[in-house]
Amino acid sequence: MIKFNNVTKRYGDLIALDSIDLEFKKGELIVLKGVSGSGKSTILSLIASLLKPTQGEIIVDDKKISKLADHFSSSFRRDNIGFIFQKYNLIKNLSVKDNILLPLVPLNLDTLELENRLEIVLEMFNISHKRDIIVKNLSGGEQQRVAIARANINSPHIILADEPTANLDDKLSKDFISILKDMKSLSKTIVVATHDPLFFDLDFVDKIINIKNGKLVI
Amino acid sequence: MDYSISHILRYKYKNLFTVISLTILTFLLSSLFLISNSIKYELNIVLDQLPDIIIQNQKGGIKTLVDESLVYDILDINGVKDVKSRVWGYYDFKKADVKFLLVGVEEFELDKYDVNNTSILVGIGVRDILKKYYYNDYFNFINSDGNIKKLYIKSNFDTVTKLESNDIIVLNKDTLKNIFGFEDSEATDIAVYVANKSEIPTIAYKLQDKYQNMKIITKEDIKTGYAEIFDYKSGIFLSLFIISLFTFFVIIYDRMSGVSSEQKHEIGVLKAIGWRVQDVLKAKFYEATIISLSSYLIGIILSYIYIYIFQAPLLKNIFLGSSSLLRNVDFSFVLNIDILFIIFFLSVPIYIAATIIPSWKLSTLDADEVMR
Repeated sequence: MIKFNNVTKRYGDLIALDSIDLEFKKGELIVLKGVSGSGKSTILSLIASLLKPTQGEIIVDDKKISKLADHFSSSFRRDNIGFIFQKYNLIKNLSVKDNILLPLVPLNLDTLELENRLEIVLEMFNISHKRDIIVKNLSGGEQQRVAIARANINSPHIILADEPTANLDDKLSKDFISILKDMKSLSKTIVVATHDPLFFDLDFVDKIINIKNGKLVI
Repeated sequence: MDYSISHILRYKYKNLFTVISLTILTFLLSSLFLISNSIKYELNIVLDQLPDIIIQNQKGGIKTLVDESLVYDILDINGVKDVKSRVWGYYDFKKADVKFLLVGVEEFELDKYDVNNTSILVGIGVRDILKKYYYNDYFNFINSDGNIKKLYIKSNFDTVTKLESNDIIVLNKDTLKNIFGFEDSEATDIAVYVANKSEIPTIAYKLQDKYQNMKIITKEDIKTGYAEIFDYKSGIFLSLFIISLFTFFVIIYDRMSGVSSEQKHEIGVLKAIGWRVQDVLKAKFYEATIISLSSYLIGIILSYIYIYIFQAPLLKNIFLGSSSLLRNVDFSFVLNIDILFIIFFLSVPIYIAATIIPSWKLSTLDADEVMR
């Protein structure tokens, strides 16, 4: 469960989010819609504890994450969150395999465990054949699959996707929708921030939340 | 560790440049320290074997020969353990433009050096030079009266250090006097040995008081003289040392201030996918340790090879002078832990700190902020 209680986020004088209350249930797929700069990405960053709210509290699975120290924020992300960034945020001169395994590096898992986990996500997101390719040599769609695989390698129960189809053509966008459906079937809580209309008529979306100028539009 | 290695390889040209720069710096520092240390080590051994006091005669401020009969007078001074007249001098071998140090020994000491009245014992440097001029079995000395004195070459000197024996020829004292044209009663100088070493200054004072025209030199005076020569040469290299350090700190400054946007973004990504500050620092620590430690080890090994295998070409000439005899000196291997530690602490921890500090600054910021 993800809960925002009266959350405000300011960047200097700019109010990105203004006294927001939200609640997402476990296993739900939520779409945050709104124009660029409306505050969608800020909500994702707050859920991932990449940012701290200026005011209010955020609760994830009965834990207040809004005041977590940096050390615990990182651990929280590592254990609970899979983040698919708009620009993928892959390390361009690393291979597909190394990029996907990055979240697991600090855990010092044995090679067999790493290989098992890697095989599962490579298969799931249909990227096995590119396993040893350097990421900068992949197409946009392939890079996104690597980013999705990386977001799932630590088996998080919350997936956050920021404008996932912004850099994809129609076909690849539909492929992503299909992946999204698969992830939802695994009972993951998924929050997608997008202004792509493709997401607004999907029958498996549980909730669409409209955001404008940092406020919820009811 | 795997991530750190892959990070080093991803920026291989930049890291290769760093490794080469650090290796050169370590090599330079280590070579200077080692060569200076080796020479001091050799010299200390030689100087420790010197007599406690040397008495030289002088006329008009110029060194001349001394009368051997003084030995008996000096022996009467309280505190003097032993007195020996020494006969030695430099023989100018013009063909090779070098000077050999001829040392005369008493008749009864000849057996000790495995020589007799018709033979000489030569140091390694002398042997090599003589061989170049086809003097394999004997050498023709030209006496002070212009006649040739043929003496057979026996064997090589086996003394404590190579520096001491390198340019020495040991021969019968009378033969030496004959070559140099000394009178029978004349010696080059007189060596005085004192029973209680703390009494050396007092004995030296007594000798100076008794022999006003003579020059009295204590072992300490000679040590000071050598130390001044090498301190002067070390001073020249101190400048080089400072320049090297300056270069190193420029590299360090560049490293600390020049974290590229790509690296900055990477730290942000790592934090965003769940790396903690200590995970980032651990990876950076491994990376910096691999680079600095490998540069340090390569630099140290190269300097040891340069000095003890190749015998420090270039630097050796500067430290030991241009005499071809001295250039033949082999540096004895000395493992000086202090030097290794000094160079280690001047390079490895500083480089590690210079890598970790900017990464630490970045990784303590919000990941969202670092990735922007």
